[in-house]
Amino acid sequence: MPRIGFQSALITALRLLLGALFIMSGGEKLLDLKFFALVIAEYQILPSLLIPAVALIVSLCELVCGTMLLFDLFSRISASVMLCMMAIFIAAMTNNAMRGLEHDCGCFEFLSQWYGLKEEIGIGPIVRDILFFILLLPVALLGSNRIPWKKQQPGGL
Amino acid sequence: MAGKTLRRTLVASVILLSIFLPAASQLHAAEPAALAKEGSGELDLSAAKALFDSHSACFVDARSEYAYYSSHIKGALSLSDSRFDEQFPEFRQKKSTETLIVVYCVGPGCSKARHVAEKLKKNGYRNVRVFSGGLTEWSHAGFPMEG
Repeated sequence: MPRIGFQSALITALRLLLGALFIMSGGEKLLDLKFFALVIAEYQILPSLLIPAVALIVSLCELVCGTMLLFDLFSRISASVMLCMMAIFIAAMTNNAMRGLEHDCGCFEFLSQWYGLKEEIGIGPIVRDILFFILLLPVALLGSNRIPWKKQQPGGL
Repeated sequence: MAGKTLRRTLVASVILLSIFLPAASQLHAAEPAALAKEGSGELDLSAAKALFDSHSACFVDARSEYAYYSSHIKGALSLSDSRFDEQFPEFRQKKSTETLIVVYCVGPGCSKARHVAEKLKKNGYRNVRVFSGGLTEWSHAGFPMEG
């Protein structure tokens, strides 16, 4: 069926693209967790005590969900977790942009290093995260939750 | 006649030199302090460097903490405009109100240094100056940085 083939190819492409992106993003945050924690502090939303833990959880989530998306392990759950995170990022950035705060968004530092993209909060990073949100939707809705190494039983679902 | 005139000129020169030379040398020795005290004007690069070299001032980085963490003037302390209230109690324990403080941010277009300087003055710090050239001028000049 050509329609099913296209859908499957699209989801695979999105899974690989977003998986690689979140692995790089989470990895670089974990490598310099203090920097990421200081960026979170700049949002002035969370109490200081929670910031190091939140920095660790967000970085780990990105790395683990990215890896799961890349290897098609529980893709729907991983994409759903990332959807929730993207919604939180978008809300936090919009809130700070409306308050007139100017600081690094703490999103994808490697993009600014590689392509010179501005990483300060503003309309650019917000639109980019909305785009990632839209790209995650098909994986969250239509992706698989199968475990690749587990043999499917004949006649099973 | 000519000898008398020459002698008078020499004596006058010696007297004048003896008056002005010590005063000139004192001015030179007190250069950093004088630079820091001049008016309410902001410090330029050479004045900031003179204070840095004399170790007579505490440099304060008014940018965000993550920017300070990435790079800052060697020995500077972080006191960001955005999180001043959270950072100030620790700063107050480290530096007395008598300390000469030089506040800087990114460069001339940045207002964070002036905001932090105002906040410090409101909290009793009398000797606060702003290095308007900021980190941009400092790093372009190749002066000591860390981070």
